[in-house]
Amino acid sequence: MTTRVRYLIPWGLLLLAALASLLFGAGSLPWQEAASALVGQGHEDARFVLLELRLPRLAVGATVGLALGVAGALLQALTRNPLAEPGLLGVSAGSAFAVSLAILFGASTATLTTLVAQAGALAGCALVLAATRLQGTGQDPVRLVLAGATVTGLLLSLTSLLMLIDQRAADEIRFWITGSVAGRQWHQWWATLPSLALATVVILTVIRPLASLALGERVAMGLGHRPGLIRLLVILVVALLVGAATALAGPLVFVGLVVPFAARALAGADIRRTLWLCLPIGPALVVFADTLSRLLVAPSELPLGVITALVGAPVLMVIVRARRMPTL
Amino acid sequence: MTVSTTSPPPARSNTRITGHWWLRAGRWSLLINRRAVALNLVLLLVLAAVSLASLALGSLSIPLPEVIRALRGEGSPVTALVVTELRLPRLLAGWVTGAAFALAGVVMQTLARNRLATPGIIGIDNAATAFAVASVVGTGVSLAPPAMALTGAACATALAFGLAGATGTRGYRFIISGVAIGAVSGAITQVMLSAVPLDAANAAYPWTVGSLNARSPDALRLLAVGLGIGYLLALGLRRPMAILQLPEPVSTALGTRTGQVRLAGLALSVLLTGLAVAVAGPVGLVALIAPELARLASHPGRLPLTASALLGALLMTVSDLAGRLLLSPLEIPVGIITALAGSPYLLWLLLRQSPDINR
Repeated sequence: MTTRVRYLIPWGLLLLAALASLLFGAGSLPWQEAASALVGQGHEDARFVLLELRLPRLAVGATVGLALGVAGALLQALTRNPLAEPGLLGVSAGSAFAVSLAILFGASTATLTTLVAQAGALAGCALVLAATRLQGTGQDPVRLVLAGATVTGLLLSLTSLLMLIDQRAADEIRFWITGSVAGRQWHQWWATLPSLALATVVILTVIRPLASLALGERVAMGLGHRPGLIRLLVILVVALLVGAATALAGPLVFVGLVVPFAARALAGADIRRTLWLCLPIGPALVVFADTLSRLLVAPSELPLGVITALVGAPVLMVIVRARRMPTL
Repeated sequence: MTVSTTSPPPARSNTRITGHWWLRAGRWSLLINRRAVALNLVLLLVLAAVSLASLALGSLSIPLPEVIRALRGEGSPVTALVVTELRLPRLLAGWVTGAAFALAGVVMQTLARNRLATPGIIGIDNAATAFAVASVVGTGVSLAPPAMALTGAACATALAFGLAGATGTRGYRFIISGVAIGAVSGAITQVMLSAVPLDAANAAYPWTVGSLNARSPDALRLLAVGLGIGYLLALGLRRPMAILQLPEPVSTALGTRTGQVRLAGLALSVLLTGLAVAVAGPVGLVALIAPELARLASHPGRLPLTASALLGALLMTVSDLAGRLLLSPLEIPVGIITALAGSPYLLWLLLRQSPDINR
């Protein structure tokens, strides 16, 4: 298989996933009608379902997958730890907790600014970075994951406490916290675009120094880069991306683990090539999982987070069971 | 072969072993560690005090003399109702679940020689909860929750072992397998909760956070019996488990059947966890913290079984009391209190020290 073919496969999969997400759903719309609506004909109702319900959902799912996949790849390159993942390390949980707090103080998920989620994610990132700088933990991927799981558990308990205090907030948080892209609308999607654009710019400037940081701190310094600055920028980008994704879809675990894992399997360890492959793989995964979540128990829906957990946990096992923990 | 009889063995009555009492009856003898006895007595006293407070305090505060009168079957009908019908079963549930979780924790930590290897962390709690919720919301087989929780606990352990491959309970692979199993079980619980009507989901809610409010009398009785048997079994396993702390060749050479001891200890810990989850839901952090505290307080090198169990009961009672009082009239489930109090400690443990039990 030539390199070009290997790189094209994920894009093909993304196209398939997007088509499936538009054509199939929990409703009673047959896929033939959806297809004819897609090419500009068909019934008024079918067009409405397609353009106003499924298309924004597809866009949101794709954005979430993109953001989480790229954030996972960056975090793994930064900590040099193949298990580092926003969901597992408590970054998503920090973001989710911030959002729950905001809901408690009167914001509703509809008016929720992405900023709250990003602030929470930034706090989570800072914790992770502090933990990796501690003696001994940085070299031990699994211990970092356990610490992340503990932080997640702590924040989840705090969230349950908030839900206990305020019944109205509880109702809103309950559906959001399982992770779902159902019923999202265009204006929510637009709200995340500025931070995504900013993240893209920062990634493009920091990507070469980050690749050199993979060779070790000393090498990077010898090449004229400043490791502290690189770390800070990458952490900011991760917070931007994870915050945007969490504000859109709630905390999703394992997406940031599975996507870079697949990308590395195709492209090797270089962070630049991995990132390029994360672009199609992340959206494809989330869109596909979302389509599944609509079809499995139709006419009702599963939370998206359930599907990603069911997909991600086995991948976690595969990584851990590898004879030698891959080092980055 | 020569037998040297120059120096006669010291008269038995004079023998003293520092820090111990030596009880003898014929050819049977028993060494009792004085420090352990003192520790357990202190713990019992504290537990009694906290329990009395737990009976007296709440949304309706009852003065202590009234409480005691109600316990003896006297007193006004209202206090009798509150104390003996509402608070006493709850207190008992706290005692037995706390003790069971802690005992399960200390046994598993010792066998795995890893302080992190507690039932909650390796996913047993979550799996037991998933199975129990399955029986509560009525999907799948309609076995009673305790039986289902036990099945779930056993399945999770078997899975963790199978996935960890040949490394056994040592090493991180076992634990991370458990984390994955816990994640999948949590997801399955959510699937079931989202697939049923709201009433059924609300009925199953206490199971997902861990609460003493949801206990069923049958499950409680079953757990009490299980705890009694489990405690005796753990006492019997104390010596072989202590020998297992030595390197594997040494313990084998000393004549310990390591495989059987491990299996028995693991089965014991799974049994206790499953039964306790069936009563109170996943309150797994007690299993981590109670043994830690007990180990801190007792003689190094000893396996503090009784102290762990007492501390578990104590932690559970205190947490439940705190949950009832802090936001009164709202009630915080005990699982949330233990998570809030226990997680920072677990973090500290993870980030600061080598998690190996051998200090």
